[in-house]
Amino acid sequence: MASRGLIPTLFLCAIGAWIVPAVADPAAVPATAARPTLTPAKAADVKKAIAAPGAKAVLVNIWASWCGPCRDEFPDVLKIRRDLGPQGVRVILVSADFDNARADAVKFLGDMGVDFPSFIKQGKDEEFIDGLAKEWTGTLPATLVFDGSGTLRDLREGKQSYETFRSMVEKVLKDGSARPAS
Amino acid sequence: MKQSLALASLIAVAALSAPLHADDAAPKALAIGAAIPMAGEKMKNVDGSAIAVADVKGSKGTLVIFTCNACPWAKAWEDRIVALGNEYKGKGIGVIAVNANDPGKVAEDGYDQMKTRAKDKNFGFPYVVDATSNLARAYGATRTPEAFLFDAQGRLVYHGTIDDNAQEPDKVSTRYLSDALAAVTSGKEIAVKETKAMGCGIKFRA
Repeated sequence: MASRGLIPTLFLCAIGAWIVPAVADPAAVPATAARPTLTPAKAADVKKAIAAPGAKAVLVNIWASWCGPCRDEFPDVLKIRRDLGPQGVRVILVSADFDNARADAVKFLGDMGVDFPSFIKQGKDEEFIDGLAKEWTGTLPATLVFDGSGTLRDLREGKQSYETFRSMVEKVLKDGSARPAS
Repeated sequence: MKQSLALASLIAVAALSAPLHADDAAPKALAIGAAIPMAGEKMKNVDGSAIAVADVKGSKGTLVIFTCNACPWAKAWEDRIVALGNEYKGKGIGVIAVNANDPGKVAEDGYDQMKTRAKDKNFGFPYVVDATSNLARAYGATRTPEAFLFDAQGRLVYHGTIDDNAQEPDKVSTRYLSDALAAVTSGKEIAVKETKAMGCGIKFRA
């Protein structure tokens, strides 16, 4: 019974943390400062976090701990959060690690200094893929950029550079489609 | 004023509906009905021979699976891929597994490791090296594992994943590839022609 209530509670906490603007520099936080939280999520849960009020652009990065290109680009994803978070960019991390690799995912997040909540994918692959973006083939890593109203605006598969992430997000910021906070 | 607003709206809608791109240089995946691309391209098999997809073509169809040694999804599905390949090889389906990964990026996908894997897992079909990754590009394959099933006429009839649960074989509810193979060998229409699953991005050679 307790576990039934736990997941929604964790989810709400996760959403809450995204809504509050990030002021801390994730890379500056020692790995031991906070144990990264990894909340199980289906596509609908991630979409709720995307569409939560307050962001002008939302970058969703789907990664896995064993995925080399994911690990390579991860610091640049965090740098986007650091550099553009104050401008209204929300970064959402979704691990696609298998259940038996969850500890690896948590360790990687800790090693990267991630001290904010993130997700781990649950449920059937196809439901998750199409639930987030029908254009996504399912390949990792994948980076999706949504505007403030939760509309998908860009999608890239494979390892990307900081410059690419930045231009994906800045295009949305420039277009200005933020949904007013309610 | 009204006209310019309408124009601005149209431009905005057009911009929002512009095609999203997976990769600037990545071709689209083969469409259902497409012919086998690069069918005559010879590739090095784990037994040392040079084999093309055309060489393994079956009387009832041909199954081309992009897979690899290292990817956790490929590993999770490996036993099921081998079982299906070995079963349908005897039912008129030509089967070939293709590794398009650059071993310079993933050492576990080297030729020697492929030979070991094919032997250890009893691959009853060729496991070949796509030495330029161009076969994968021609198919528009993006991940491992990714299956392409062609009918007897060499037209694509199924593209996608193996089944709907990589992690837990005992909890699979829909066996997409198995169902497609059963249909194509019995001359029936395939019910679900395209599916998706998560997979490791192919580590293309430059």
